[in-house]
Order: sequence, then C-alpha cells, then structure tokens
Amino acid sequence: MTSSSTDTGTIVDVTMPQMGVSVAEGTIVEWRKQRGDWVEADETICEVSTDKIDTEIPSPASGRVVEILVEVGVTVQVGVTLARIATDARPGEPHSAEVDAPPAAPATPAAPAAAPSPPAAARPAPPAPPRPHPERSRRRYSPVVQRVADEHDVDLDLIEGTGREGRVTKQDVLAWVHARSASHSADGEPEPVLHIESPYRPGAGGSVTGPYVAPEGRPLSRMRQQIGEHMKRSQQTAATCTTWIEVDVSRIEVARKQLAITALPLIARCVIGALVDFPLINAWLEDDVHTVHEQVNLGIAVALGEDGLIVPVVRGAQDLSPEGLSRRIRDLARRARARQLSPDDVRGATFTITNPGQFGSMMATPVISQPQVAILDVEAIIKRPVVITDAFGDDAIAIRPMVILGLSWDHRALDGALAARFLANIKKRVESYEY
Amino acid sequence: MATSSTDVPSGPRTTASETPPQHLTTDDRVGLLRAMLSMRAIEQRAMNLYRQGKVPGSFYDGFGQEAVSVGATWAMAAADRLCVLHRDLGAHIVRGVKPATILSQYMGREAGITSGRDGNVHFGDYRKGCVGMVSMLPDMMLVAAGMAMAFKLRDEPRCAITWFGDGSTSRGDFHEAMNWAGVQNLPVIFVLENNQFAYSTPIDQQFAVNPVQRAAGYGFPGVSVDGNDVEAVFEVTRAARERAIAGGGPTLIEAVTMRMHGHGAHDDMKYVPKALVEEWRKRDPIDRQSARVGALGIDVEALRAEVLAEVEEAAKLALAGPMPDPATATDRLFHPRDAKEILLEDGDAPWSGFAGERS
Amino acid sequence: MTELTYLRAISDGLRTEMREDERVLLMGEDIGVYGGAFKVTDGFIEEFGPDRVMDTPLAEAGIVGTAVGAAVVGLRPVCEMQFADFVSCGFDQIVNVAGKMLYRQGLPVNITVRLPSGGGFSGGPFHSQNPEAWFMHAPGLKVVAPSTPEDAKGLIIASIRDPNPVIYMEHKNLYRHVKGEVPEGSYETPFSARVARPGSDLVVITYGAMVHTALEATEDIEGASIMVLDLRSLVPLDEAAILSAVHECSKVVIVDEANQTCAAGAQVSALIAERAFEDLDGPIVRVASPDIPIPFSPPLEAAVLPSVERVREACRDLLEY
Repeated sequence: MTSSSTDTGTIVDVTMPQMGVSVAEGTIVEWRKQRGDWVEADETICEVSTDKIDTEIPSPASGRVVEILVEVGVTVQVGVTLARIATDARPGEPHSAEVDAPPAAPATPAAPAAAPSPPAAARPAPPAPPRPHPERSRRRYSPVVQRVADEHDVDLDLIEGTGREGRVTKQDVLAWVHARSASHSADGEPEPVLHIESPYRPGAGGSVTGPYVAPEGRPLSRMRQQIGEHMKRSQQTAATCTTWIEVDVSRIEVARKQLAITALPLIARCVIGALVDFPLINAWLEDDVHTVHEQVNLGIAVALGEDGLIVPVVRGAQDLSPEGLSRRIRDLARRARARQLSPDDVRGATFTITNPGQFGSMMATPVISQPQVAILDVEAIIKRPVVITDAFGDDAIAIRPMVILGLSWDHRALDGALAARFLANIKKRVESYEY
Repeated sequence: MATSSTDVPSGPRTTASETPPQHLTTDDRVGLLRAMLSMRAIEQRAMNLYRQGKVPGSFYDGFGQEAVSVGATWAMAAADRLCVLHRDLGAHIVRGVKPATILSQYMGREAGITSGRDGNVHFGDYRKGCVGMVSMLPDMMLVAAGMAMAFKLRDEPRCAITWFGDGSTSRGDFHEAMNWAGVQNLPVIFVLENNQFAYSTPIDQQFAVNPVQRAAGYGFPGVSVDGNDVEAVFEVTRAARERAIAGGGPTLIEAVTMRMHGHGAHDDMKYVPKALVEEWRKRDPIDRQSARVGALGIDVEALRAEVLAEVEEAAKLALAGPMPDPATATDRLFHPRDAKEILLEDGDAPWSGFAGERS
Repeated sequence: MTELTYLRAISDGLRTEMREDERVLLMGEDIGVYGGAFKVTDGFIEEFGPDRVMDTPLAEAGIVGTAVGAAVVGLRPVCEMQFADFVSCGFDQIVNVAGKMLYRQGLPVNITVRLPSGGGFSGGPFHSQNPEAWFMHAPGLKVVAPSTPEDAKGLIIASIRDPNPVIYMEHKNLYRHVKGEVPEGSYETPFSARVARPGSDLVVITYGAMVHTALEATEDIEGASIMVLDLRSLVPLDEAAILSAVHECSKVVIVDEANQTCAAGAQVSALIAERAFEDLDGPIVRVASPDIPIPFSPPLEAAVLPSVERVREACRDLLEY
C-alpha cells in the first residue's frame, strides 16, 4: 500500500490510499491528528477502513496539519484528499486552537484474542473480569439487598449502586435481576411481565421512571457490517452442516510443553496433514466450480474485541513445522490487533481454523468462510474421565485432556462421510502425535 | 336497740342481754354465726398453709372483723351486687362461694376463682354477683356507685354495696364516689371498716374528721355501728338497703372494729398497743354471737366442729388440685366479640327476709 | 353516602348506635345540656334524655369507675374525657380496674373511653396531648385512632360493641378540618390498618391527624411511589399490614404526633426491626414531636408538631439512601 500525496509548494495532501487491488473506496475510522497538530513523516495520521481491512495511514510528510477535509465515518473514493499538511511550519509554534487534541484511543481494548495463543493449561482461561470497582470490597449491603441477591444468585460486586454514595439499593438489584432474566432465553416459558419482586405495579400511583425510553442506538461499524454481510452470504450460499469428533490431546500437551508453543499450531499441523490426505476439503467452490488447491493457505481467525474478527492467512502452511506455524500465527495475530495487516494478509485462505476455546466453550457451529468449503472449530481443552482399553481388551477410567473438534462443511462440495473421515484423520494424527 | 326502718342507730352498741332482733330468725342468727365460723376457720387454715409455703405471695385476713362482712352481706338480696375487700371473706361465704374454692384461690390453684391470675382475697365470683377488688383503694367505691347508677337508671329495686378501710378514705376516689353517689342519689351502701389502723397508720394520723361525720357533707347519712356485733351490722345494713330501694339514696355505714392481726401475715403489728388488742379481744364477734346462739340452746361446739370438718375436707380437696397450666398465662386478655356476654349473676341470699323472693 | 366532617361522623356513629342499642349510655362533663365541649353530642339530650346523656360531676376517675360498674351489670357506657389530657385523672380506673378485670376475674368490662386528643391550635400543654402510648402499654385495653370521617363513625360503633375497654382517640384538629364520604346507617370499621395510598418505594406508617400530614407531604417527591399506611388500630396493632408494607417498600418512615420516646411509632419500629429485618433497604426513620410539653405560642407549636415539610424531608432523605 502506498499513500499518495500532492505537493503544492509547502502544502502536502494526504489522500485515500488504494488498499489492495480491488478496493475502490475507504472510510475514515479515526483521525489521530487534529487540525493544528504537528505530525512527523510516517507517523500515523489516521485510520481508515475498507472492505478488506482496517489500516493505519502514515503521514506523507512532517509538518502541521492545517486542514481536515473528510470527517470520521465518511466514505470516499481512492485518491480523494483527506487532509493537508503545512510543511513549512515549525514544531513548538503555538497551536491554532491552543489545545492539544487528545490522541484517539484505539478502538479495541486489549481483549484476549482467539487463535494463535490459546492458554497453556488444559483448562480454559477465565473470562475477562468486569472492570473492578476500587471501592467495592468495602461496600455494605442492606438486609433486603442481601436477601434478594441471595434469592436470585446475584454477585453484588457487579452491580452499580444508584443510592447515596453509590449504595446498591433494592431497586438496583431487582433491575439487575430483571435485565438478566430478560437477556436469557427462558425454558420455553414466557417471561412474566411483572416479576414478583418487581417494584413496579400496574396502575400504582405513578411508576418510578415513567414510560420506557429506549437508549439511542449506534450504527454498526463498517467492519462489523462487512463481517455480517459475509456471514449472511455464506449461510445463504453454502449448504452448511457441522460434524464433531472428540479428540484426546494428551500427546499434544506433552509436545507443546517441550516446544514451548501453544496447542493450536500443533493441531494445525495435524489438520494440514489431513488436508493433504483429503485434498477435496482444501478447496474453493465458486458458482458450482470446485477448485482444489495444492497449497494449504491456512486462515486463522483472530478476534478483535468489539470490532469483530479478522482471518489472516498463513500462506504455504504445508511447508511449515509446528514451530514455524507458531511463529507465523503469532506474527499475524500481533499485526492484526495492531491494524497492520496488508490486504494480501487476509486473502487466499483455502481452509480456516477458528479457536475460541480459552473461554471454556465446548462446541460450536462455525460459519464457512466463502469460497472455502469447510472450517474447523477448536474449542476448550477440558480434562475429563474417559474409558481406556488396554492391549488385553480391559477397560479402565483415565483422566485425559479432551477437545471437541467441530467441522462445518458445505454439503454442495462434500458429504458427511467424507467430513467424518477427515475428522477421524485429524484425530488419529493428534492422538498419535510425536514431536 | 330495736330499730325501725327509719331509725338509724349510731355509736357502738354493747351486747348485754337484749331483745331478739326484729328481722332475724333463729336460723338467721345461727347462719350468721356459721358464716363467721367458716370465715375464721378458712383463714386460720389458710394461715397455716401460708406458713407451710403453700400459699404464695402475701396473706391477709379479717380476724376479729368477721361480723362486718357477714352481717352486711346477710342483708343483701340475690340481685344485689357487691364489691368485696380483703378482710371481707365472709361476704363471699354468704354469697355461696365454697371453702375449697377459696383455699384453691389462696394457693394459686387452677380451681381458684381467678385460676391463679390474682392472689389471696383479690377475687370476686361474678357468678355470685361479686366483683373482685383491685389493690388501689378505694377504687371499688366508684364501681359500686356505677352499679347502683345502672340500677337507678333502669328503675330496678336493687342495691350495690362495697367495703373499704379507714385509710382508703384519704384518697380522691373516696371523695369522687361519695360525691357522685350523693349528687345522683344512688342506691349504694358504703361500708367503712374502721379497724383503727391502715397498715401501721392509726386513724388519728389518717383524718382530722371521721368520714362518717363527713357523709352529711355529701348529702346522705353517716351511721356508726358496733362492727363486732354481727346482728347490729346486719340491721343497719338492712335498714340502709331498705332506704336505698325506696329511693332514699346512699348510706355510709361506719363499722367500728379492730384489726386483730397484722396488716398481712408478714406484719407483726408491733405498733399496736397490746392493751388495745386485749380490750378488743374481749369483744370478739364470734364469741359474742356464739353466746347469743348458745343461749338459744344451739350446740355451738357441734357447729364449730362441723365447720372445722368442712374446712378440713375443703383443704384436702384444694391441696389435691392442680396448679394452672403456664401455657394459659396469656389467655383471656380480651373477650372475643362473638363470645357470650358475661355479666354479674345473682348470688345466694340466705336471709329469711328474702324467703318470699326465693324461687 | 353523605359528606360529613370528622366530628359529625362521630356524632352520627354515637347516635346510630344509641338508637339501635338502648343499653348505650353517654357519660361526660358538659355533654348533655351543653352538647359537649366540641358539640359532638349536640342535640343528643333532646333525643335520648338526661338518663342516657349524662352530665357528670367533674370527676374523671368517677366517670370511668362508675362506667365500669354500669358495664358489669349490663349497660354500655361511653365515657368522654373532655380533653384527652385529663385522662390521667382517671388513669387508675382505666388501667387497674377496667384493664385487668377480665384477665383476673373473668368478667369483661365493656366500656368505651373517648379522648379528644392532639394539638395544632394553641391548646398548650394540657389540651394538646396524645396519650395513646400510655394505654397501649397497659394490658387489657384496646386503643383505636381513626383519621377519616368514615373510619371515625365505623370505629366508634365497633368500639361500643366490642366487649372490652376501648380507648378511642378522636383528634380534635380533624373535627372540622376533615370532611369525607360516610356511609349512612350502621356499620363497623374493623380494628385493622388501612392503606391510605398505595406505593412501593417507601411507606409512611402513621395514624390520626398525621395521616393527612403524611399524604400531603408525600404527594409528589420527585415522582416516587410512596405508600401511606393508616394504622387505625394501635391495640390490636395490625402487624400483618405493617410487615407486608415493609416487605413491599423496604423503606419506612414512621410519624407520631405524640412525644417521641415510647410513642406508638416506637413499638412499630421495634416490630419492624425484629420481624422485617431482611426487608429493609435503609434505617427505620421516625418523625415525632420532641419530648417536651406541647407549647402554646403558634411558632413554638408549629416547630414541635411534625409538619408537612419535616415529613417530606425525612422521606426524601430516605429515598436517596
């Protein structure tokens, strides 16, 4: 990617770059510099979003930003001037507004990512704790608050108090319970309109807050919209089925400790091996044209927190050892979260692995990334009691780290038997793995 | 001496040989003695039980004053109503309360009149037309006046009577009751038991003017009578009652007597001059009535023995009775709306003069 | 239904019951010829005669004591203490004779003692008291305190019919200031509490004149939903209604016009602390007169008796807790 600039004497333009061959337009996500700010050459001046990728734009020159021409959220064609920089200005000169614009915070918090670095332990990592309230350990709760919390199994530390000095009131607990039950799907029973503990009674002399006013919604980000479109299109195009298999990852566990890597690259290595045995699955299906690939370009899903996910690709993964896979996956993930992926980093995958297992979930039904014909989901590795049959045919119970691999596959391209055999191949490779 | 209905005696009377009383038959006279013997026997038995720890709390008796309650009550009709005080056990006896019930009451047993809710003589059997006393004296004077008030409002030929001591006349309720009865001209008999002492306080420290003289100040007669002459007490009460029924209003009867025992069993009455006690012992009401009745040829000793046996039997019965169940302690604080109305009922009226009225 | 003042409603109740039950006897100072110090019995002596509307001597102990005697022989006396303050002169007869008779002797005492109580009109220390707590504390007495004309009539009839001694607190300041719909004919109001206004964020528990103060004070406190519970009966105390209100609202303000220490509200407060601890979302708040004789001069009296502002402030403060 290159950024274009136009020199008009001392003023340098910042223009919308071409982010990949097919990209025609881009949207400003965020201005890192405001009018009047000083910017160094190559310093990030803004962040833009395209169909493919979000990326940071380095400044074409050093100077003072004298003009911002395209606001956040606006989509413009490639080549359009976004901003202007005065190169004859000097750093240290007074800012035009006398105020430094605060550097925009990154859009994504440093949430734990899926894939390349699942936790070392067999146990899934605990979910991110809610922001700790510095005063919460010292809070006291009134008798009714404790009783209601007890009855409804509520962790009071999670609740913001609206009473004096942040005290959690009875209404706060009841509202929490009500909201929680509203967000859970019931067991088929309709949620009663008024919970028995609810402070609200119909027709009572005026409700506490008057008629419910919905909060203002926020339009989805461009990336989120793109992901959504992609998912919908996939589900409307492919005849998606999912098959699962349970795999004993004892040997993987041993290997990864030896190699000081995570389980994912080791499992990926086994998957690549299976793809070599089942080339029909390492393929694309576009408009009834089924294309088998020789190279395994392995897509690894990376979560970007609230903004969604992205799937950078390990090209030519068939040639990589587990350590090599590990290095490549780590590098891609890092760059993904830093918004430093190139468009080519996210194109051309022939098979995708998604690995959200560190939260403890066991199974999932992933959506196939078009135009691939399958996607493999690796969930949590959980120690469980399993039946072991020894050489004499005697059964015993052993504790083993187990994982459930789920393969979503396109029934237009293959059948369940093939899918199952593919999974069995992965299982055999994993369970007999030797580093 | 002989009295007519309007001739109210005043001053103590002696019991030298006298003409037979106009309104008392021999049976009456024996009955009067019997009732007094019963009162003394019960109280002596109860005193023993008290000393044996079987009577809880405190014990009061009317030793030497039996004539005041027996004599006056003998004059009351079945439909009359009584507020009885603590030295007036004879009133309960004449109205028909059984000795065993009385002893059970003293011992706080279930079979007592109050079933252990109140002790010693703090009882009144409403089924015999008696209202139990309170310790604040003379509160019951007002209650008696109220009963009389109702009789008058309803134009009924009935009378109310109450006893109170010399000490209690110092309290405001005495004045309020006397005044009320006088201004409304009520058919009530106030019997002032002047036994010379209110606990340790002699009467000369109690009032400057004897209440019996103050009755006139309230608009009705005050009459003094020898409180140890049961027949004199009867007569003066009978006359007062007759007057009241006829619409003549209240009477204050001062029954002059002597408290022969301490205020209660716990009181050794050291403050009473021994000579005074000795003098009054000679005027013992039971001795005097025994002499009268004996002179009529009645076997007083046999009567006494009979009464003692009866009381002994009653004591056995009372001692065998159970204590009240603690679980019932909080019962009966309020009368339920839907329960039967309870009012005072008629008691015994053994006087021969009521013979025509007995059904 | 007719609209009557609180005072007229009491008259109506007395008159209705006297017509129906010839045993009912009114006793009090100046109630006959004069029609009563406040005219509650105005016209009664003309209808019922001096035998049933008795002008008594000035003797509170006498009024109550003779009433006891009349009651145990079958009349139904209704005593009036001209001002509630004077009841102390008849205290002994009420507490020791009337209150304890049934328990001790099995003999019920059916008397009603009307106490014109309360302040707010410069009555001073001897014409403004609210002595109901003395009688709540004496076993064997029932105590009622209506706040509306409808309840005033229904409760006086029920009190007369109740076979026990009933102390009937009629608030002088409500006599002519409060009007309301009153059913015609004979009816009884039960000895129980009444929800004067339903609500759910906080409950004000009170009785008598303070019910009206509480309703006014809590009409609109930032849209909060505030219940007002009118106790109506102090003995028996409607524990179920109190506990149910606390369960629903979790925040309680108790208002007594009487002096704070050991007022009726103190008993309510203790009951809630003991039996509704796990329903409380804040401390139990009490608003009452300070422990002083009620002063005479208007600014002093106004500063002492719980005002609309004081009650409102207490509610607002507790709502924010």
